[in-house]
Amino acid sequence: MLWLQLALTGLQVGAVYALTAVGFSLIFGSTRIFHFAHGATFVLAAYVFYWAYQAGLPAPLGILAAAVAAVALGVTMDRLVYAPIQRHEGSFFTVFVASFGVGIAVQNIVGMVFGRSFVTVTTELSRSVKILDGVYVSPLAWIAVACAALFFVGLQWFLRRTHVGMALRALSDSPELIRAYGLDPRRLSTYAFALGSVLVVPGAIITAATSGLNPALGHHVMLISLAATIVGGIGSIGGALAAGFLLGLAESLALIVFESQWTEAVTFAILFLFILLRPAGLFGRAATS
Amino acid sequence: MTKGRIFAALATACLWAGGAGAEDLQIGALFPLSGPNATYGDVFSSGVNLAVEHINADKMLSGALSVRYEDSQALPQTAVVGMTKLVEVDQTPYVLSAFTGVSKAISTLAQRSETVAVNGGGVGPDLAKLGDYFWNVIPLANLEVRAVVPYLAQHDMKKIVLVYVDDPLGQSILEELEASLPNAGGELAAQISVPTTSQNFSGIAAKVRAAGPDAVYIASYGAQQIQIVKQLRDNGVEAQLVSYSGFAVPDALALPEAEGLLYTTQAVDYDSADPVTQRFVSDYSAKAGKKPSAYVVNYYNAVRLFALLAQGLEKKGEAVTGANLLSERKATQSFDLVGGSVSFEANGTLLAPIQINRIEEGAGAALETVSVN
Amino acid sequence: MAAYLLNLGVLISIYSILAITLNFIMGYAGIYSLAHAVFFGVGAYAGALAAMHLSASIFVTVPVAMACAAVLSLALALPALRVRGEYFVAASLGLQVLAVTIFAEWKSVTGGIGGLIGIPPVDLFGQAVYRPASFFPLSLAVLAIVIVVTRLLVRSSFGRNLTAIRDSESAAASFGKNVPLIKTISVVISAALAAVAGTLYAGYLSFINVESFMLDTSVLVMAMVIIGGTGTSWGPILGAAILLLLPGLLSYLSFLPPTEIGAIQQTLYGLGMAILMIFRPGGLVGRGKARETKSAAKVAVGQKPPAVEAKAEGAR
Repeated sequence: MLWLQLALTGLQVGAVYALTAVGFSLIFGSTRIFHFAHGATFVLAAYVFYWAYQAGLPAPLGILAAAVAAVALGVTMDRLVYAPIQRHEGSFFTVFVASFGVGIAVQNIVGMVFGRSFVTVTTELSRSVKILDGVYVSPLAWIAVACAALFFVGLQWFLRRTHVGMALRALSDSPELIRAYGLDPRRLSTYAFALGSVLVVPGAIITAATSGLNPALGHHVMLISLAATIVGGIGSIGGALAAGFLLGLAESLALIVFESQWTEAVTFAILFLFILLRPAGLFGRAATS
Repeated sequence: MTKGRIFAALATACLWAGGAGAEDLQIGALFPLSGPNATYGDVFSSGVNLAVEHINADKMLSGALSVRYEDSQALPQTAVVGMTKLVEVDQTPYVLSAFTGVSKAISTLAQRSETVAVNGGGVGPDLAKLGDYFWNVIPLANLEVRAVVPYLAQHDMKKIVLVYVDDPLGQSILEELEASLPNAGGELAAQISVPTTSQNFSGIAAKVRAAGPDAVYIASYGAQQIQIVKQLRDNGVEAQLVSYSGFAVPDALALPEAEGLLYTTQAVDYDSADPVTQRFVSDYSAKAGKKPSAYVVNYYNAVRLFALLAQGLEKKGEAVTGANLLSERKATQSFDLVGGSVSFEANGTLLAPIQINRIEEGAGAALETVSVN
Repeated sequence: MAAYLLNLGVLISIYSILAITLNFIMGYAGIYSLAHAVFFGVGAYAGALAAMHLSASIFVTVPVAMACAAVLSLALALPALRVRGEYFVAASLGLQVLAVTIFAEWKSVTGGIGGLIGIPPVDLFGQAVYRPASFFPLSLAVLAIVIVVTRLLVRSSFGRNLTAIRDSESAAASFGKNVPLIKTISVVISAALAAVAGTLYAGYLSFINVESFMLDTSVLVMAMVIIGGTGTSWGPILGAAILLLLPGLLSYLSFLPPTEIGAIQQTLYGLGMAILMIFRPGGLVGRGKARETKSAAKVAVGQKPPAVEAKAEGAR
């Protein structure tokens, strides 16, 4: 039953990865901005929730505060950092370095404010319940998977059924077309950042309750999001979701064979293979063009 | 507030350093002051600072004694950079060390620069083999494991699973368990290592459950050991949990999921009638509002040991250097430290009996004391 | 005070070598690697093992370290160079993570987290060099050699080929330049010289473990290059000096709590990187406008998915 248990654990981890990766992929796919500070957004949202929990605020308020903080960071980054760089036609790398810099700064400021130790939000929901002999699942695992499904369906609906959503999907292909329709690519970029950033919130809160937080967590989250985006295929939201789950499952199931020190290496070996053999990813658009 | 205490200590140390005269002495300390193991730095430095206070109040030395703290973050490489500063820049003859990986890492520099390094926190058995200039004022983990294994066997816990951090401490505990379990009629059913930075243990818990142990031995430290205990319990592991002296820090003891956990520490005779112990216990209790832990004792003793040696050297008119401190220690039969009069083994290690404790209502309660050698 | 400055001087020299060698591929060949610490690490481990088991002479340890790093960089650069833009960044990140795992797990060779203990000091003509007062001149001399070597290379025809590739890879290829070969050679040179820094580092500290060769170090070195000025001669050294002096200067500000100085320094260099990219992407020494803008994939909204490019690259 070990494999079933690990697969279920992997689904829970994968759901967190998937949502975060979808956020990154949405931003990257539509604006081409390599938003490395996405990991910092995750950390900030998690710590704001933790702060609200410490202050004794009810959970919905904490979730709201975390969402506001995430969106605020994403949109501020877009407006104050990326927009000026794009104005002088900065290279891909200029944007990357600026984003990396902000990520480091946010991580350290969070560390100074909340301490660099691990902190956990204690909840009964993290306590596992026996569902089969030798198989335990915590309520949070179901919540994580449900959140991933709910947010993904909601996002798909938004991208396919609303004006802004459709414009976002078109943004990466032809900004001229967007302009011709009287829409402002910069404004759309801000929408992409707001949406992408808010997607980290469920994962951040679930992580706070299951395995605890520390400010350096952002790096790992970012690496996984990046790996999932590429494995899923750049620009493919569904691909990022599938790849997030795939990486979570791989990381967990790898425990059957490897010691846990190797799990991160397993993730990046998968990434490496994709870059070499199938750079278009699982559902990349390049494969069809 | 715990951080505040360190700042206060550092500020005092700086003040002393600022007003230092020619005869003043400075020793170094490489403790984790930030990062996930900062709790240990708090505990260690409370012992150090109390000792410095007592030594200066008694005017044991001709000048004032002060401590130069460097933040090791409990990471070997960070500690080596800090140690380089202490021996090359501050030129302290005596450095307090902690943590197995850190202590091993700095031992070459200590030997090379003839600086005495004293460990009162790390328990990897290799620490007994780091050369003349490396001393231990703490019994090492081989003794702790040898004390707890027979206890577990007597209480019908024969099938053990080890969850250990993949660093020198964890590996040494693994070696000790492998060596001593079969002798006591026990069995190491599984050994599961975790990387030092890992914090998600739900998969590990599944592997532990699959092995079906009577007891789970946890060999980690700091924030990680707390997460391991919490997540094992969260994920349906019901077996008895066992750990070593690294668990004897306030935030680990206070964890609700740790209730009932067994852990070993060195046994200290706090009721000893000698004046050193009496004064230490009463002053510490008055200050901290609680009883001292073994770590506090060890670092108090480490600093007191320096003062005793330096006092001897000053009497003879010799310079307080690492080399002289070493020969002075070798020439001295025994030292009056907290817990009574003690003497060093030839390899620079103190022996002490081991005590097995159980966590009851957030505090350690002693079960029995075992003499191991 | 003198000892303090000498100790700092040693570290600045070692990190300057790293920054210069990274700048060699970043600034002149347009290869943005986030895995430079890997070669620093390979050099340190190889140099340390050579010193422990063969001879501590610098004329043994340095060549061994350079050879190991060069061979490994070859094996790893060849696949990674097939892709570009964000794919290369991702690939180099992946390489960095894999290397850290191997450094930490290959215990029989690297000692794992416990590291290599008891590395003998650098031996120069029979003299053990490890005190800052004697090690500083040594590290400075090595730095000077590395500067001379890289400058000669940059000014040679090889260097002109590199710059041509950086400015337009397809144009260079159409002029009959063997682009992958030139790129590979530059990576090999850069890795081999970075290994020299690793050997010095291991001999000076007498101890190394995986912590010194993680992503943080790669990022720190990259920050040194960028803050100083990508593609400039003196920028990387300036960057290394600034980032290593910063904690020392901060510790003079007595109102800052000592346990927070590390975090404050990191925050400052993070923000510094971002602000420089907004206002002066060429770095402190570089010209106001980024020179590298032409090389990497443009980020302007609405560019074609680079997956297409990557695919075309692979097919070529």
